[in-house]
Amino acid sequence: MSEHPAEPLLELSGLTRTYQSGSRRRVVLKDVSHRFEAGRMYAVVGPSGSGKTTLLSLASGLDAPTGGTVRFRGRDMAELGRGRYRNRHAATVFQSLNLLTYMTALQNVTSAMEITGVKGPRRRRRAAELLDLLGIEAADRNRRTLRLSGGQQQRVAIARALACEVDILFADEPTGALDQVTAAGIIEVFRKLAHDDGKCVIVVTHSKEVADASDEVLHLRRGRLVSRT
Amino acid sequence: MLPNVGVMNLFKRAWWRLTGHLGKTLMLIGLFFVICTLVLSGFLIRSAAARAADDAKQRVGAVVTMQLDLNALISSGKEEASSGPVAGRLGENADLHRSLVDEICTSSVVAQCNYTTDSGAFPTRSTRLYQPVPPPGDAPGADLFSADGVRDLNAVGEFKAGDSALITGRGITADSASDEIVVEERLAKENKLEVGDRVELKVGQIPPPGEKPDETEYTFEVVGIYRNNTADTGTYVPALTHPANQLYLTPDGASLLLGKGKGSKDGKGGDGVVNQATFTLKDPADLERLRKDATEAGADLEIFPLSVNDKQYRTLVGPINETAGFATVTAWLVAVAGTAILALLVASSLRERRKELGILLSLGEKKPRLLGQHLVEITACSVVAIGLAGACGPLLSQAVGDRLLAGEVSSAQEEAAGRGPERDPSDPLGGMKEEEDVDPIDSLAIRLGPADIGKVGATGLGIAALATLVPGSRILRLNPRDLLTKGD
Repeated sequence: MSEHPAEPLLELSGLTRTYQSGSRRRVVLKDVSHRFEAGRMYAVVGPSGSGKTTLLSLASGLDAPTGGTVRFRGRDMAELGRGRYRNRHAATVFQSLNLLTYMTALQNVTSAMEITGVKGPRRRRRAAELLDLLGIEAADRNRRTLRLSGGQQQRVAIARALACEVDILFADEPTGALDQVTAAGIIEVFRKLAHDDGKCVIVVTHSKEVADASDEVLHLRRGRLVSRT
Repeated sequence: MLPNVGVMNLFKRAWWRLTGHLGKTLMLIGLFFVICTLVLSGFLIRSAAARAADDAKQRVGAVVTMQLDLNALISSGKEEASSGPVAGRLGENADLHRSLVDEICTSSVVAQCNYTTDSGAFPTRSTRLYQPVPPPGDAPGADLFSADGVRDLNAVGEFKAGDSALITGRGITADSASDEIVVEERLAKENKLEVGDRVELKVGQIPPPGEKPDETEYTFEVVGIYRNNTADTGTYVPALTHPANQLYLTPDGASLLLGKGKGSKDGKGGDGVVNQATFTLKDPADLERLRKDATEAGADLEIFPLSVNDKQYRTLVGPINETAGFATVTAWLVAVAGTAILALLVASSLRERRKELGILLSLGEKKPRLLGQHLVEITACSVVAIGLAGACGPLLSQAVGDRLLAGEVSSAQEEAAGRGPERDPSDPLGGMKEEEDVDPIDSLAIRLGPADIGKVGATGLGIAALATLVPGSRILRLNPRDLLTKGD
């Protein structure tokens, strides 16, 4: 009998990533394997340079591994197409504030919904609801994101990821720029997304609060997955 | 069918970007405007010059001349050495026969043709020269009539200009018999001639040294009398140059007076010779076809070349062509330099926008759509710039074209002043061609048409596409993570 009878949503097998710099070859991630399931929240922790962001990039389809495979619902990512995977199944909240600065908060969210093919004429209303949920007031929704505070921008980025209605949400230090109250609110949103909406949430974090709120914590050290708790 | 949401999003993003970075957008429009205006000016000057050149060709380039090229005849070795130019007489090969010219005239590309035979005639006892003031001293008999063989009297310059006009009888036409002659009023009075009278004239060739003169006399019937407006001066004028002693005959008749009658089949100059034939073409582009037809008719185009009135054409269009050449080179340079500048600008803008590209790629946006967004942005700028260039280009090209052309015309006139007339290749004595002077075209008629807008539009959009796709495709080879993390 298998340890994981249910088919995993996302499966990493022997994932390796090396970088070539001249004649030097640097192994950033080595032979990492793990299965991620829907309806659960995961935290990836470890010291700086341990390969957390690289793991997230490979799992979210932003980068290609040099060894091993990433499978989504049993299909190899290379076969599925990373672009399609990012477009239909995965959304990422980055560590740095990755919003389109020439758009308003609302336009950032609706534009992402259009790109990811979220159907329906009520995209604008849904975007407004999400921004509201994350504490972006009506007056700020139509302001260019460059004029919003760091915390507000991070919340807009999270709203954009949530709006895409994907299966897996990746987040890289999503609460790093937020105050404690807002951070707690974001953690709660992530938990609900996993437990109520059945999504898979994978968060790279240094935050103990995020790790504590997660269903499973993966520890990385020097590019290797050393433990799961 | 509704447009694809993703495609619509691309257009929306492009619009938001253009309005969100208005300064950069205006800078791009400005740069495009300069490029498009200069390119359009180049096109407009070039097309105005081409139109002017076509008009000039219609005016002067359609007249093709056929005459003996003496140098070519000598080089070919076809002149008869024993009676060559040194001996004062050329052989049969130097003769351009009227029958051959008539056959060339039947070519389908010829609209009109004409030919002349320059000859002279010595007076006889019954037909005297008109000399109101006798020659000083005792030198009788050296003067002679000028006898020109023409195909159509009305086409003769003097008659076309109105200096001479027929007052009675009829003129010389293509159907005239070889013994018909038209004389001047004063000469007719001097010899008591009327239409229908006959005149006797002697061959007007001065024999080579050592040879006896040809004393053959030919009889011609006066079919017309004309009046020349040049009055007598009251002083002695050599008879040959006095307008009253100008006789007009058919080319065959004039050939008899050249001493060519004996060699003709019928002994009456039935197939005379002509000095120069001119063919007016229906279309200047038909010169090659005329050459082919002339060769098929048996003409030796090495010895009797067909030449377009090239000098007048060159004078007319020389400066304007120089201007057009400069404008064309400028248009190309601007287009190439503009593409390079825009490509660098877009490449630099794409570097600035790496993060934006990374974000959109992380959302799963397709790479062609990202390039499409850039293309839409640049195209929108170029369309505005092309519109502005369409409004300003004609004004600029008119001003620049006029200034450039004025300089070229001035140089051409200085150059022409330093050059003498061209040598007449048919003249054994090396005489100069007599040609009507023409002034170079000194104005450009700039006209902006849909074709010009189309051309500059295609160039502008081509530049936009190249400037976007070349650097864009390079950037988009990177994966989203590289775009998001590198170059921060």
